[in-house]
Amino acid sequence: MDRKNFIEKFAEALEIEEMADLQEATEFRSLEEWDSLAYLNIIAMLDEEYDIQIENAAFKQLRTLGDIIGYIENNQ
Amino acid sequence: MRESEGMTEAFNPFTLSGKKIIVTGASSGIGRQCAIDCSKMGATVILLARNEERMRETFSHLYGSDHQIIVADLTVFDAIPSMVETIVSRVGKIDGLVNCAGISTTLPLKLMTTTKLDEFFRTNVYSAVELSKEVSKKKNMNEGGSIVFLSSVMGVVGESGKSLYGMTKGALLSAARSLACEFAKRRIRFNCVSPGAILTPINEHLPHMIDPEKRQQLEEKHLLGLGSPEDVAYACIYLLSGASKWVTGQNLIVDGGYTVR
Ligand SMILES: NC(=O)c1ccc[n+]([C@@H]2O[C@H](COP(=O)([O-])OP(=O)(O)OC[C@H]3O[C@@H](n4cnc5c(N)ncnc54)[C@H](OP(=O)(O)O)[C@@H]3O)[C@@H](O)[C@H]2O)c1
Repeated sequence: MDRKNFIEKFAEALEIEEMADLQEATEFRSLEEWDSLAYLNIIAMLDEEYDIQIENAAFKQLRTLGDIIGYIENNQ
Repeated sequence: MRESEGMTEAFNPFTLSGKKIIVTGASSGIGRQCAIDCSKMGATVILLARNEERMRETFSHLYGSDHQIIVADLTVFDAIPSMVETIVSRVGKIDGLVNCAGISTTLPLKLMTTTKLDEFFRTNVYSAVELSKEVSKKKNMNEGGSIVFLSSVMGVVGESGKSLYGMTKGALLSAARSLACEFAKRRIRFNCVSPGAILTPINEHLPHMIDPEKRQQLEEKHLLGLGSPEDVAYACIYLLSGASKWVTGQNLIVDGGYTVR
C-alpha cells in the first residue's frame, strides 16, 4: 500500500494544509483538526478509497496514522 | 445627548465593509439587487451567472471598486473547483456566498417527469450545494463566513402546481440545518431566506402573475402586497453581516405576511 498517498488523503479529508506535520507516528486525535466531523470524514474516506468498513470499537483502538495504515493492510 | 447622537452616526452592525461576497444569479432579479445592495454596504462583490451582458448591467450599478464578473453555468459541476480557485486568487478568501441562481415553474404532477425533476434539482439544489462545498473549504473561506440559500415560501407551505419547485426549496432548508451543525466549529453559518412572491423575470410568464384574476388573488394573500427585490436583499445583508453572528441553520421568511394565516 502507498503510505504517502494515504497520508495525503487523510490531510485532504481534514483540510490540513501543513503536510509536514503528518507522520506515520502522528497521533491523529491530538491534531487540532480532529473532532467528530473529522471522524466521519475519515470513516467515509476509508470506505470510499479503500473499501474498508470499520466499526467504532475497532477504530477506538487506533492511535496513530500508522495504526490506520496497518488496519487497512490487514483488512483489505 | 449629543454623545449618543454621535454614536448613532457611526453605529452600523449591518456593514459589509471589507467582506468579499459571491452572489449567484447576479444577472437578474433578486441576485442583481442583492449584489448592488451588498456593494452599497461596502462589500467587494463577485457576480456569477451565465449571461455576461446582463451581469455587466448589474456591474454598472455597483458602488466601490474591485468587483468581479464570473461567467459560469453552475450546473457544470466539474468546473466549480477551478472557478472558486480563480475567484480566491483574484480577491482573496471569501466571507459570504448568496445562492440566488434558480429556476421556477408551475407544473401539475401529471406533467412531472424525472427529466424535469433532474433539471430542477440540478439547478436549484445541486449547484448551490456544490458551490457551497467548494467555497466553504478552509483555503477558500474566512472564519465567520456566511452562506445563504434562497429558498421560498413554497419550501414551507404548498400551492397547486408548486410541488416540483417546492421540493427543491425544501431541500435547501434541510441542507442549511445540518450544514449549520457541520460548520459551527469554524464559525461558518448557513441560513435560508424564503421570499414570498416578487415580480422578477423568474415568474413574469407564470400563470399566477399573467392571469389578472390569479394575480389579484396572489396579491391578496400577501397581506402587505407583493414584494420587491430589495426586501429580500436586505434580509441577505443581515445574514451576511456580523449582526447575525449568532444565527445559523435558520429560515428567514420575507413574504409580506403570506404564511401567517
Ligand atoms: N421572485 C420570486 O417571487 C421568488 C420567490 C421565492 C424565491 N425566489 C428565489 O430567488 C432566487 C432568485 O430569483 P429571481 O426572482 O431573482 O429570478 P430571476 O430573475 O429569474 O434570476 C435567476 C437567476 O439565476 C441565474 N441562473 C439560472 N440558472 C443558472 C445556471 N445554470 N447557472 C448560473 N446561473 C443561473 C440566472 O442567470 P443567467 O440566466 O444569466 O444564468 C438569473 O440571474 C431563485 O432561487 C428563486 O427561486 C424567488
